[in-house]
Amino acid sequence: MANLLQSFLFVGKGMGVTLQILSGGLCMGVVIGACAAALRHQNMFACVINRFVSIIRGTPLLLQLAFVYFVLPGFLPVKLSVVAAGIFTFGLNSSAYIAEILRAGIESIPKGQFEAAQTLKIPVYYMWKDIIFPQVLKNILPSMVGEVIALLKETALIATIGGMDIMRSAQVLAAQEFTYFTPLCIAGVYYYGCVLLIEYVGKRLEQRFSVC
Amino acid sequence: MLKIINAKKSYDGHDVLKGVSLRVDAGTIVGLAGPSGGGKSTLLRCMQGLEILDGGTIVCDEATGFMFQDFQLFPHMTVIENLMYAPRIHNQIEHAYEYAVELLRRLGIAEKATVYPKQLSGGQKQRVALARSLMMHPSLLLCDEPTSGLDVATIADVVAVLQSVRDMGITMVIASHDLDFLVQITDRIVLLKDGCIAAHLEVKNAENPIEALKRFY
Repeated sequence: MANLLQSFLFVGKGMGVTLQILSGGLCMGVVIGACAAALRHQNMFACVINRFVSIIRGTPLLLQLAFVYFVLPGFLPVKLSVVAAGIFTFGLNSSAYIAEILRAGIESIPKGQFEAAQTLKIPVYYMWKDIIFPQVLKNILPSMVGEVIALLKETALIATIGGMDIMRSAQVLAAQEFTYFTPLCIAGVYYYGCVLLIEYVGKRLEQRFSVC
Repeated sequence: MLKIINAKKSYDGHDVLKGVSLRVDAGTIVGLAGPSGGGKSTLLRCMQGLEILDGGTIVCDEATGFMFQDFQLFPHMTVIENLMYAPRIHNQIEHAYEYAVELLRRLGIAEKATVYPKQLSGGQKQRVALARSLMMHPSLLLCDEPTSGLDVATIADVVAVLQSVRDMGITMVIASHDLDFLVQITDRIVLLKDGCIAAHLEVKNAENPIEALKRFY
């Protein structure tokens, strides 16, 4: 029993890295994705944004991660840490998917809402921030919850460049104890626990939005 | 004063406005009538700047408010938030709250200030839309089909409400296919048909304005 607890604690140390990459990547993804979706709707840089989305969605995340960690430092005068490379890659990857989710959400908003903002002479920035995005968020919440869960699970790829996340911690423990069963089950419990939490928050938000 | 000179507008090669000229004097209420597809809403949208004219000019030295046919209230904001939003963004919040409450009271929906639009009936949404369009103190109010989808009793309410707006000294242009309604509220009715003005009618001078207009349909 004490062994099991120790194993839980050992694998749990990877939670910090997983959460750092998840939260950093998600913030970056939301900001870039929202800007991309809004700019594309305003017919600004639409061609560039479409190509970006196409490339990101058309190449494996593992390739993108390896590219950022191993290739990019050759072109840039900075050396990215594993976590920074993870946040950058997952953020960029997530932004492409979020931009697409937002595009669908924005297209579901009646044209009249944009016109109502125009007739009230609301500046474009405030129109998006206060009028369009809050409505879009309500419409896309289920898809966004799905995206966050997908991102959480994809963070396990950080193990391939040496990041000590939940998955990598479980692998290290497995190598130490010569058994994969318990460490992988523990990793599964951590991931599934996080997914349940995300789903719970998503449901609460849906309930809150359903008022209006 | 609003002056439209030879306004032209087409969509996909179809001419919706074929050189419309119109003058709306301050303090008057002008109705735009006519069959569906005649160009009423398009002309109104051009006046507001929601559509760009292909030809001609619109000279307007008034601050405008616009009331949409389908209200277009912001669904995630309460009634009072809908009213307060534009003044807040434009930093004109001094006395805005009192004005919003006063408008809601005059329109008979003061008790609905804290509810969301989806909790309102069609007539109540109409009033909120009207109140929101008045919040920035326009001197010209453009109304697109304000009675569309409303029952007879609610239309009577809308007439009363628009009359109270008139008492505030606000010029109005109202696009509607409902001649009974237009005759009750307007000073002058302009009949648009196939993108042209088919008839002008001074309501007070006409013996039977509805019959007179129907001849041009």
